Amino acid sequence: MGGGHLSLINIIGGKKRFGKKWVLRGIDLDIERGEIMALVGPSGSGKSTLLRALNRLMDLDSGSINYRGKDIREYDPVELRRSAVLVPQESVMLEGSVFDNVSYGQRLKGDVDEELVGRSIRDAGLSMELIERDAGKLSGGEKKRVALARALAIEPDLLLLDEPTVGVDPKRVKKVERTILNIRKKRSLTVIWVTHDVPQAMRVSNRIANLKRGKVREVTPASDFRWEGAY
Amino acid sequence: MSEGIPYTWDEGLIILASVMVLLVLVILISIWRKIGIAKEYTYAMIKGGSQLAFTALLLNFLFDFEYWYLPIWILIGAMAIIGGYTSARRASRMPNAHRITTPSIMAGGSLVLVVLALTRAMPLRPQFIIPLAGMAFGNSMTICSLALNRLIREFETNRPALETMLSLGAGPKDAMEQYARMSVKAALIPNIDSLKTLGIIFIPGAMAGLLIAGTNPILAAEYQIIVYLMIVGGGVITSLMVVTLARKLLFTRSMQLSDWV
Repeated sequence: MGGGHLSLINIIGGKKRFGKKWVLRGIDLDIERGEIMALVGPSGSGKSTLLRALNRLMDLDSGSINYRGKDIREYDPVELRRSAVLVPQESVMLEGSVFDNVSYGQRLKGDVDEELVGRSIRDAGLSMELIERDAGKLSGGEKKRVALARALAIEPDLLLLDEPTVGVDPKRVKKVERTILNIRKKRSLTVIWVTHDVPQAMRVSNRIANLKRGKVREVTPASDFRWEGAY
Repeated sequence: MSEGIPYTWDEGLIILASVMVLLVLVILISIWRKIGIAKEYTYAMIKGGSQLAFTALLLNFLFDFEYWYLPIWILIGAMAIIGGYTSARRASRMPNAHRITTPSIMAGGSLVLVVLALTRAMPLRPQFIIPLAGMAFGNSMTICSLALNRLIREFETNRPALETMLSLGAGPKDAMEQYARMSVKAALIPNIDSLKTLGIIFIPGAMAGLLIAGTNPILAAEYQIIVYLMIVGGGVITSLMVVTLARKLLFTRSMQLSDWV
């Protein structure tokens, strides 16, 4: 795994267990600035756990994660989470309207930049007509987009996406993918995209890291990824 | 004005013994209808009665003791500490809960006692300080338990929302704000509700006691309102403090959800 000096993230020997079960068993992974890295693997392979560790919703039991050359434990968690923002698989809507949700991160900082909120809503592929709607009453697909817009409105450098198209109408999956790819280009973001859908990973990413039982089995350019249809 | 209870404490003992007929009644009914409370009730009566007798003797001593202001601090401190531990036990799943309940109850209870002393509502005599301190700390304890349990419940049921807020850069204070507010409100509502029915459905404890002791009903009512002001005033401080301090036990230092929940 090369390009250490260019890497945005270096994960070295990352281990994590829940109770007696080891979920991450020594993850080594470098992620370059500006790339889309897809994490694929069967459920239980540690993909989501790794994303949560990158956002510091939990800490590794051993090993380390460097972000921009500094151990993530040295960052103020709030500062880190605003830079490396997580969009979890389950899009939990906070109380209030779509606007309240999307502007949440900005409200925490004090000022709400309405222009940025509007741009994030549009970038996430949502209709501006929804802006006053109660977020809790939206469809599953719309909630996913609100969650994405909410993350974008923080203006992160790194987007951690956990299965962003699960629960989305199959006809619209490719549209969501295009939306995310456009955002990445427009905002020059780095994206870590967790998916169990290998063809999707091959469509959207630059490189694919294949996880199995808490370890990275291989990292390959998406175009070279060989998949036999089973993990 | 009446003169309060018209007999002395030794005459009272004989009267108390006669009222024990009610205890016998309960035991007989319990045995006859197989309710199964005879043993429990007798034990509770003996235990509660002995505790009360001990307290009465202690108060009797303190009321006549020239230097009452020395031991009274121990008594007040003990009330706050026992209140803190009792309240913490009710939030049993939270480890080290007493570290937050005890100072909260201490703060709420003490603050209202100071206000009562400064406004001269509470004359600085043990006859006033001890029962009022009992009420202040006792009610702070109940309100503390209500607020903390509600907060823990909100925390448990809203974990996904809390993690969402944290992942968007909220600190524990921002993330917990609405749940803290809800918990303080929920803890105070029972007292505010009973304030509304005051005097209509029941005559509350302090006023009943004063009436029996022969106090003028208007003065007794005034005092009852003072007691309510004290309870809700102390309660708001206690509950606000306990939900604020709880953040330290609900979140880790790196602003993650604690895993005991």
